[in-house]
Amino acid sequence: MIQFSGVAKRYPGGREALRAITTVVEAGEMVAVTGHSGAGKSTLLRLAAGIERASNGSVVVQGQNLGALGESALAVLRRRIGFVFQDHKLLFDRNAFDNVALPLRIAGMPRDEVGRRVRAALDKVGLLDREKAMPVALSGGEQQRVCIARAIVNRPAILIADEPTGNLDADYARSILELFQSFNRVGVTVLLSTHDEAGVVWLGCRRIALANGTLAAAAA
Amino acid sequence: MSAWLRLHLHAFAESFRRLGTQPGAAAMSTLVLALAVSLPVLAAIALKSLGSVAAGVSTEPQLTVFLKPGASDDDVRRVEASLRADPAAREARFVSRTQALEELKAKTHLADLLAALESNPLPHAFAVRLRAAEPTALAAARDRIARLPAVDQVAGDFEWTERLRRWVRFGERALAVFSALLALTVAFIVGHLIRLQVVSQKEEIEVSQLIGATAADVRRPFLYRGFAQGLLAGVGAAALSALAVYWLESELRALTPSYASEFKPYFLTLPEMALVVALVSALATAGAWWAVHRELRKFSPSKGNP
Repeated sequence: MIQFSGVAKRYPGGREALRAITTVVEAGEMVAVTGHSGAGKSTLLRLAAGIERASNGSVVVQGQNLGALGESALAVLRRRIGFVFQDHKLLFDRNAFDNVALPLRIAGMPRDEVGRRVRAALDKVGLLDREKAMPVALSGGEQQRVCIARAIVNRPAILIADEPTGNLDADYARSILELFQSFNRVGVTVLLSTHDEAGVVWLGCRRIALANGTLAAAAA
Repeated sequence: MSAWLRLHLHAFAESFRRLGTQPGAAAMSTLVLALAVSLPVLAAIALKSLGSVAAGVSTEPQLTVFLKPGASDDDVRRVEASLRADPAAREARFVSRTQALEELKAKTHLADLLAALESNPLPHAFAVRLRAAEPTALAAARDRIARLPAVDQVAGDFEWTERLRRWVRFGERALAVFSALLALTVAFIVGHLIRLQVVSQKEEIEVSQLIGATAADVRRPFLYRGFAQGLLAGVGAAALSALAVYWLESELRALTPSYASEFKPYFLTLPEMALVVALVSALATAGAWWAVHRELRKFSPSKGNP
């Protein structure tokens, strides 16, 4: 489903975030990317989602080599991948409904279809009664859930989440992880990064451990 | 309905809705643009009206040939023969002194004064229509005719029509330069307005790009906003010029019969108005494109920011 072959990422200025990463995430798998902060977790996820391009090596997602795609083809591919941002990236000038509807409106979906799908997504994250709420009126956890709803509203085959439990207390974090588990159970490939060891153990999923931009170990 | 069509219809409707959310600002920018556009439109109308005078007069250069007061019928016949033989003359019409007096009585309010005269003070005359030619050729023909025996003087003011024609041509060139500059102004004003909107929506653009909006998706609403702004400005400019012409026309009507009967106040035809609106819309869209293009280069997600 997602294949990294000798992937390296250097940022302008010379910082090398990833070096020679070769690993694979199979379809239907749930994988946790772990490592200290600055180990390259976010970079790996952003490369997998086609938000950034590798400096070296190839990233192949659903059979497509992202390096070979043009800018707009890459953008269109991003629509098929749900991404939960660490900082949520919600738009504060519109309510929860309109935030979740954004990917569908970009794709030019008819209005009633948008309404149906947005409500289904909000229902899955347990925020159906908060669709009119503005992001400032939502708690951090609720904002996280809106972000998750936006990631799944397009019904992607791949869901990628960058530190989804980062700033949440243990109970809330657990409920978010359960949510990802439930998506995985219906066949969605889930790739999430975390530094919450207990969470990974609790999930019991495979892990990709990064240290200083290289693979530390790929064992569960 | 296809997604493509829906995206465009939505962007089109959304652009007007956006203008409506800030009616004051939208009205101001529309007015500024409409004023900028109405200037060359009015100048073009003025030129076209002036051009119609030049065209009406100058196609048929005319001379009036006055014979000496004591000219005999033989003299008249000789002059007529010479005129008919002249290659520059297309037609020569004899106006006898009695006929001239009748016409003067009929056309002016001098009947009483003329009746008081003991004798007809007017000479015989010929109205000569010349073949259209270069001013030098026309002047040569006038001098040739003036030298004919029994001819007193020749009146023919074709130089002024030529001069007018040249002024109109000059005016047309000046208008072209002026229009080009104002067209750039329109593009820049709209570009600037759109740039401000792009900057104010930086976050939305960034998030949209992250979740799969292409450059075209990001550009589309701004292009439509530029187009909507241009459309309103074009219609506004046509309305402003129509108002100005309407206001001037009554004065001109009062002025024209006694001065130049060829002068017809001219206003844009419907297709010309549509052309103005279309041009302004196109310019505004181009300005918007330029603005979005410039701003978007700064934040493409897959190219830069870590």
